[in-house]
Amino acid sequence: MSELNVINCSIPVNSLVYYLCKVELMIYRVFYNLFCGVITVLCLSLSAHATPWQNLTGEQLEQKLAEKFSAGDYSSKGADSCLMCHRKDEAVMAIFDGTHGMMNSKQSPMAGLQCEACHGPQGKHNRGGKEPMIAFGKDSKLSASAQNSVCQGCHNDPKQMAWHSSTHNLEEVACADCHTLHSAKDPALDKLSVNDTCSSCHTKEKADMNKRSSHPLKWDQMTCIDCHSPHGSMSESALNKPTINDTCYSCHSEKRGPVLWEHAPVTENCVTCHNPHGSVNEGMLKSRAPQLCQQCHAPDGHASRVVQEPGMDAFGGGKSCLNCHSKIHGSNHPSGSLLQR
Amino acid sequence: MRFKLNIITVSLLAVSGSAMATNFGVGNANTDSINMDKYQCKRCVSTNGYNGEVSVSAGYNSVDDIHAGNALGTAEDGGIAAVSGDIRYQNETGYQAQIQAHQLGMDNGFANIKVGKSGLYELELDYQSLKSYQAGDVQSQLWHDDGMLTPSAYTNEFDLALKREKSAIGFNYGEGFYNTFIRYSQEDKTGHQSSSLVAPSPVNFGLPVDATTKQLDAGASLAGDNWLTELSYFGSYYSNNIKDLSLPHMNDVYSATPDNEAHQVSLSGQYQLNRTVMSGRLVTGRMIQDDALIQMSGNPLQSWDGQIDTLDGRFAVTSMLSNRLRLGGSVDYSKRDNKSSVWEFTQYSYNGLSGSFKQNVPQDIERNTYKVNASYRIASGYRLQAGYDRKEVDRSYSEREQTNEDSLWAKLNVSAFDKFNVNLKASHGSRGGSDYEVDEVTSSQENALMRKYYLADRKRNAVELKVNHTPLSWMSIDVTGRYAKDDYDATEIGLTESEDFGYDVNLSLQFSKNLSVYGFAGQQWINSAQAGSQSFSSPDWNADIEDEFINIGTGFSYGGLMQDKLTLGGDYLFSNSISDTSVGGNLVTANGSQPYGDYFSYNHSVRMYADYALSKQMAVKLSYQYERYYDTDAAQVATNAVPGLTTLGELNHDYNAHQVMLSFSYLLR
Repeated sequence: MSELNVINCSIPVNSLVYYLCKVELMIYRVFYNLFCGVITVLCLSLSAHATPWQNLTGEQLEQKLAEKFSAGDYSSKGADSCLMCHRKDEAVMAIFDGTHGMMNSKQSPMAGLQCEACHGPQGKHNRGGKEPMIAFGKDSKLSASAQNSVCQGCHNDPKQMAWHSSTHNLEEVACADCHTLHSAKDPALDKLSVNDTCSSCHTKEKADMNKRSSHPLKWDQMTCIDCHSPHGSMSESALNKPTINDTCYSCHSEKRGPVLWEHAPVTENCVTCHNPHGSVNEGMLKSRAPQLCQQCHAPDGHASRVVQEPGMDAFGGGKSCLNCHSKIHGSNHPSGSLLQR
Repeated sequence: MRFKLNIITVSLLAVSGSAMATNFGVGNANTDSINMDKYQCKRCVSTNGYNGEVSVSAGYNSVDDIHAGNALGTAEDGGIAAVSGDIRYQNETGYQAQIQAHQLGMDNGFANIKVGKSGLYELELDYQSLKSYQAGDVQSQLWHDDGMLTPSAYTNEFDLALKREKSAIGFNYGEGFYNTFIRYSQEDKTGHQSSSLVAPSPVNFGLPVDATTKQLDAGASLAGDNWLTELSYFGSYYSNNIKDLSLPHMNDVYSATPDNEAHQVSLSGQYQLNRTVMSGRLVTGRMIQDDALIQMSGNPLQSWDGQIDTLDGRFAVTSMLSNRLRLGGSVDYSKRDNKSSVWEFTQYSYNGLSGSFKQNVPQDIERNTYKVNASYRIASGYRLQAGYDRKEVDRSYSEREQTNEDSLWAKLNVSAFDKFNVNLKASHGSRGGSDYEVDEVTSSQENALMRKYYLADRKRNAVELKVNHTPLSWMSIDVTGRYAKDDYDATEIGLTESEDFGYDVNLSLQFSKNLSVYGFAGQQWINSAQAGSQSFSSPDWNADIEDEFINIGTGFSYGGLMQDKLTLGGDYLFSNSISDTSVGGNLVTANGSQPYGDYFSYNHSVRMYADYALSKQMAVKLSYQYERYYDTDAAQVATNAVPGLTTLGELNHDYNAHQVMLSFSYLLR
């Protein structure tokens, strides 16, 4: 009640006006906080402290860090030396929530050289902050390959086997562009957030998820990594399986066959007719029937007929060509050469 | 093939040794002066024990079309409940466990459990339920029972929906230089999907689905300082519990999908020599299908021996020749060798058994792909990439037995400007191949002017511009524009051209630690043109298809309210898919073209939530989701609206759906 008096709403409690005033107060606070937030961020961004190495170019920084790394002037007390200054930073301390902060796993950096395992030897960094450390993420001037060499020092397993020839490596994507280590959970490794991680760059595929037909990616019932390997693979489009069709068969095994009567473009490549990222047509088809079928079939017969209107006859109504040729992915009927039974 | 490979390899290896690498890997660290005995880490924080959260949700769904279940996680109309959670446990000996569950109890949900010792072994159990809804209350006069479709005066009402339930168990073991894994999964797929049979006029019906796929994967890998190798096996076994379908007056009108199995053995490896990395893989596979065939006059077999042998290989090499220049190349080989038996089978003509015989066609497909690429840093912040790709495909029993596609591409990346990152990409591709011939086995009756679009000569040009702008530390905007055109210049009948262009804009605002806002908008257009010939000669009709997609979304998350206890959030999404087809030509109308009826969909989706922390351990979350969905397709007609055709009715959607959920979360730790 006292809160409402502040804005001169002295009115009976629990009346309609009382609640309206309360809502008004809430809206006021939201906008006030929003305003304060913007001002604070602006002030912080303007007053950010410049570091002594801020003016170094990427190459100069890399050279400097390489010299430091080679000198191997590590701190005497490990993480304690770093946390003396950085312990008030929540983002830094969040390392202990995740795998990389485990002190009892011999493969964890925190059980070895600790912070310096990834950020390099401290050197004179703690003496007035005059020397740079290896830093990661979008604000780091260090090249992606130099950043990634830190991660690859430990993560040398079959999942990384195709990394060096992968599109992400050739595009100079850094591990830290997708992965977050200083947290309890890496969003790129969580089934409920990995699609957001991928689609933050792959904006066309992000839009495709929302088309009339698509795989259920927008509800996180499927994920991008069900089909693709972000670290690269030895297949086209970084697919998990050796071929496009093998990738599709991993969920659609009924279409694998082989069957007695094959439909040649189906066995050759599923994406001849389908766009697995989504389509404005039903069934993720590139075009609808009968037009899609007539882009390949023009015999001396009914398939060459012009279908002037949909829904007027069996050629354009219902399932169109598939009203009769329903076994479009292939038929195992001895008399199924026309994919009708 | 071998000659080209050697040229690439030798040239890269010859110069690769000269470049120095910046490798900050911990294995390269100079640890001479370290005395780790002094490490105490008094300021480190131990997270041994449990942490995470578990939540119980209950709510209400207002659903009058099961299609809404796709977005709402369940199509249940009325009260709903679910359990979710994300709990981690670890102890001082390195033992770890993790349980993640999402919407267990609803049609779409999952649970995953991992237990083990970090870096030594891990046991994983996984469960997922995924249900997709196409249409509800679909009506048919056909009733299915054990392979018999019986027509009845009573209407059979069912949902067109498929449910997948997948359970898996996996175990991996290994440390340091060796690792092993084994994983088994089983997926049951049940429900109904739309299909059609010829009896002899076409009848759409709900095909019952009841199938199981089992998957067994196992492998072992070894790793050294500069090499890796892995040997693995993948096996998949599909079995269908639905038999061939018959009508009372007509046997085996619809053949069941036959059981099948597939096996693959893969050997892969990687070797690193300074800044040159080579990787390769060889996969040999076999797909088998020998289900019993339908017994009928004119079928000489009890079961058919269907067998495809596959061989897939790849060798890739990439090298940083200097800090400015990277070169790479790869060779891919893929062979599908159809070793299935070949027999003659009687075929039906439209009006019954004609007595004509036809041989099945075991098609082989062989692919070779060669790629070379270069990346050169012109100056700090300017990088140019270029490459050449060639794909060759050989296929037997085809109108065009050989096609080859050459593509040249280039990308320019500019990151020299403080707040801009610009990417420009352009490519040109040309597909040609052997003579296009109408083959007697495959298509003796095709129009000689027809060029199937996946075999036809094609010129493909594409360009894409992507700009990322970060005007302020808390603001990021991405703008992408793209255009691509396919020109089938040798095609008179079939798909003659297609263009695909569009843009998208993504805005991200992080006003403060607590307040973030995003927005995006985009449009895409795909226009295609095709021609046909009803007179079986030169083109006498054409069709233009104009697809359009509009996508708009925005949302916010605002935390830190009420002394850090309240977080508010909301998301809005609009999507609109349109496909306009018009047909023209002398056969259709003398003046212009005739448009098809409506074929579009739109969707408004709104989500709002308020998350309130009751205490350090407990929180409640109130969420609301609204779905407005509409789609229409002029091809959808009432059951008997078209003489001679029986459909499943008009399966269009037009609904509003709501979901309100109240969740209670308990935070561990």
